[in-house]
Amino acid sequence: MTERLEQVMAYLDGELDAAARKAFEADMAADPELAAEVAAHRGLADSLKAAYDPVIDEPVPLRLTLAAQAANDAPRRGRLMTWAAMAASLVLGVLVGRMALAPQAPVAVGGQVPARTQLAQALDHGLAAEPGVVRIGLTFRDAGGRYCRTFQSGPDKLAGLACRDAKAWRIETATAWTLAATPTYRTAGSDTPPAVLAAVDGALSGQVFDAAQERAARDGGWKP
Amino acid sequence: MDRPEAAIVELLPRLRRLARALSRDAADADDLVQLTVERALVHRGQWRPGTRLDSWMFRIMKNAWIDEGRARTRRGAVISPEDAGLDAASDGSADMETRLEAQAVARAMARLPDDQRLAVTLVLVEGLSYKEAADVLEVPQGTLTSRLGRGRAALLAELQEGAQ
Repeated sequence: MTERLEQVMAYLDGELDAAARKAFEADMAADPELAAEVAAHRGLADSLKAAYDPVIDEPVPLRLTLAAQAANDAPRRGRLMTWAAMAASLVLGVLVGRMALAPQAPVAVGGQVPARTQLAQALDHGLAAEPGVVRIGLTFRDAGGRYCRTFQSGPDKLAGLACRDAKAWRIETATAWTLAATPTYRTAGSDTPPAVLAAVDGALSGQVFDAAQERAARDGGWKP
Repeated sequence: MDRPEAAIVELLPRLRRLARALSRDAADADDLVQLTVERALVHRGQWRPGTRLDSWMFRIMKNAWIDEGRARTRRGAVISPEDAGLDAASDGSADMETRLEAQAVARAMARLPDDQRLAVTLVLVEGLSYKEAADVLEVPQGTLTSRLGRGRAALLAELQEGAQ
């Protein structure tokens, strides 16, 4: 690398002290070729910022938020998220991770589903067995009277159980899941991962909803 | 701050931006972020309170990306620069010209050797100082600036050629 390029970079990257900066600007004023070089490199830096800065304002995928929260979220409802379910989800996570050749560790509970995501839309409006990138499986009430639904989300690469608070859906349990891993035909809950089914078993109070109950609960806006 | 977990959530947008500049597409980039977060949580005892969490996470991402690159090579997957960058600036508000330019940038980035791409990304996308970027890459500052210079020259040549 030439000393000249090194100077141009250091100038643009803010690595020069005030005196060196001044001297470089004087050089630039006297040397149009140098000035043009600086302009070209400044243009490159601007293009890179323009290409990647929009990522900062994109919504963060739920699976990443959940992965980051995994360590500090103690299970909110300890009795529901049984040790057996956690162990099962761990085993499944390992299996899925191997199959996909990509580590997709199970993620932890307690996160709120951000509104306006595909997952929130499906939990609010979807019905079992409807096709889509986010699918709803089972719907039921837990012992506290909350509505709960199992889901499989292609975009989030998650399957899990979400229950409805006064304000929003909260993830009770979630585990790695990919669209490719599902059979082509299905019935409600048939392709729900065992870890999620175990969580349903733990949370379920009474029976899983039939289609009419599910539709009525949805049309009622999930009011308690 | 002795518990890094909450701060990691706040770092996610920057980790995603960095990963997007390194990866072939948005899905690969988010997989890289997830791997980075998982490794950081497993090794969170190694983070020393009082040091910068972002630099520490970037270093983990750098190592994860290099490991993944080796795994990709072993599996025989080839990254085609033509496929790169289709998700760059996926922000729906971006106009067509901005989008095309972002794709051209991503294709040029995909052609860079890994070490140059890392240097360019840390300094020009993430805005780290030379010292910070050298720390993340665990190389002397002279090595960083040399990679940065070669990377910049190659990008400029590629983009100017494409513009003609």
